[in-house]
Amino acid sequence: MTTATTSKAEAPAALPGAESPGTVVIDAVTKHYGDATAVDRLSLTIEAGEFISLLGPSGCGKTTTLRMIAGFEEPDAGDIRVSGRSLLGVPPYRRDVNTVFQAYALFPHMSVAENVAYGLQQKRTPKSEIRDRVVDALDLAQMRGFADRKPTQLSGGQQQRVALARALVNRPSVLLLDEPLGALDRQLREEMQLELKLLQSRLGITFVFVTHDQGEALSMSDRIAIMRSGRIEQLADADTVYARPASAYVAAFVGQQNFFRGTVVEGGAVDSAHSLVYDMSAELPVGSTGLAAVRPEFVSIEADVAADASGAANTARGTLIGVSHLGETMQYLVRLGDDQSLIARRPSPEAPQLAIGDAVVCSWRAESVLLFPADDAASASGYVAPPTA
Amino acid sequence: MRRRLPGFLLAAPAWAWLAIFFVAPVAMVVWFSFGYKPSIFATQATDKLSFDRYAEVFSPTFFATFQNTLWVGIVGTVLCFLIGLPVAYWMAVKAPPSRRGLLVALVMVPFWTNFLVRTIGWQVILSPDGWLSTALQAVGFEPLAILNTRGAVLLGVVYNYLPLMILPLYVAFDRVNGPLREASKDLGAGKWTTFFRITLPLAQPGIIAGVLLVYIPLMGDYITATVLGGAKGNMVGQLVASQFQTAQNWALGSAMAVVLIVVILATVAIGAAIVWFVTLPIRASHRLVIGAPATTPASASIREEVTA
Repeated sequence: MTTATTSKAEAPAALPGAESPGTVVIDAVTKHYGDATAVDRLSLTIEAGEFISLLGPSGCGKTTTLRMIAGFEEPDAGDIRVSGRSLLGVPPYRRDVNTVFQAYALFPHMSVAENVAYGLQQKRTPKSEIRDRVVDALDLAQMRGFADRKPTQLSGGQQQRVALARALVNRPSVLLLDEPLGALDRQLREEMQLELKLLQSRLGITFVFVTHDQGEALSMSDRIAIMRSGRIEQLADADTVYARPASAYVAAFVGQQNFFRGTVVEGGAVDSAHSLVYDMSAELPVGSTGLAAVRPEFVSIEADVAADASGAANTARGTLIGVSHLGETMQYLVRLGDDQSLIARRPSPEAPQLAIGDAVVCSWRAESVLLFPADDAASASGYVAPPTA
Repeated sequence: MRRRLPGFLLAAPAWAWLAIFFVAPVAMVVWFSFGYKPSIFATQATDKLSFDRYAEVFSPTFFATFQNTLWVGIVGTVLCFLIGLPVAYWMAVKAPPSRRGLLVALVMVPFWTNFLVRTIGWQVILSPDGWLSTALQAVGFEPLAILNTRGAVLLGVVYNYLPLMILPLYVAFDRVNGPLREASKDLGAGKWTTFFRITLPLAQPGIIAGVLLVYIPLMGDYITATVLGGAKGNMVGQLVASQFQTAQNWALGSAMAVVLIVVILATVAIGAAIVWFVTLPIRASHRLVIGAPATTPASASIREEVTA
């Protein structure tokens, strides 16, 4: 495939100073379903050629947002522009965007090649050109050898590639991907993540990727929009989202966190029920309720030999109740009290040998602690596992 | 290790049923059709076999009735299809999902009444001095003269068989609903293209089921024709029934029944062939065969593309 950022011919030339081809602007868009608000005054500008992920749990509005860009839903308020042109009232078949569907939605009565050719046939592309472009697209998706098979004769990963080829063959300025890797097994999913990213940077097409899998979002995206109740909670690159989450919700959703709820005291610390104190530079009002978060990989763990009950800052004592091998890391589950547990993760080569039931002491550096205002949506205390599939 | 029962045993009751109540009677009918009616008090005999009954079948009356039957059968099936298709499509695609169960139940409502009774109901409606005719005359129309015509039979069969068309079509459209149609629109196809290239081809099993469910019983139907058709609306089913019941000539009745079966099978085959031929150029224009891949292994191509 020789195309780069070329959009369809009928796309109008962008006005001077307006958005360039491939830019997606979501402008204060709201969508209701009955009484429920799926998307709530959402604004987001996606740069041309950007790989952006909409990340969030089910019901956060990410799929609705994608469907509004595709044209399957109309916003109740606000505007959506692609390449500087408003899409309000434009049916899906007249939009310069293509979608890779969650369950692929390949046409079962057509061969792989016919599936890929379908979009070109709709645009009255000459037959000889259709053939060449179908072959190119199938080559790109590494599905050339399966061109004349029926989709039912393919594995999930192969169907996924066909769905990708079928969308990309149209050379859209924006490609929408609706949890396209959700149905694949883990190894294949990681392979496809790399390939998608490679493809995207090669083709220069804007990718809007919807997922509930934070690993997927982190590994591929230029920027991630973490969504919650129809709004964007944080919009930033993977490093920022991971290291400096804007809220306890984001901190809980991206990666894993140990949360401690307590009262904020002088010097930006939280005094939790377990007399654990976390120093850090935060600007929460003294006396308010705060949530301190520390990631499992920042927590070191060792056998508690001192048996000293006094709590030093950024230290927690407890009983080891679980050890699991995660491959590169060992994960320890420590019970601190009736309603508080803690996860520590150490790289396997330097993991301490500990047995379940051992008294342990966990510690971490003050710089690795994040402090947020209390948020009922995040867990009250204890670790929070990200809601992965 | 436990011995497992072979799977076909699950179908054994159905096979037994078919053998006793379908294969055997049809075989008997075929057998009788080669016999004759020996005396005024006997219905059939098969000690001498011949094709004489078949020669007897092809009388001018029979041809006229057969023509009539074919006309009602084909036009009735086509009408059921043309009326049932939009209804089924609307039920499966456009109607709110919460209402679909109710709509299916409504389609079934006529089946709660006996077939004969609801056909006689039409007799009441269509009669020249019935309420419909009276109402039409009140606004200046002629009295209704549709009863005892082929038109009345057609109306009756469309009414009686329409649900048998709608239900399989509904199920078929319901299965195609959702992401496939969205994918088609996403790829640039409008609603008509989506209907003719995605929805309709994928509903094919339902269309075949509906057409067969309507056409086959319709060809053998004689109640509707008897009640609404009078002398002009005769159908082969009536002739067969009168040979068995009135004339007590089972041999001739059997021969007529066999001819009817053969004609039904032949017309279904011809109909299928016509559809196949008519759609052939359309299907050919969408066909795309790529053939064996080029010599370069496909797996290497993406890396090349990227480094190129």
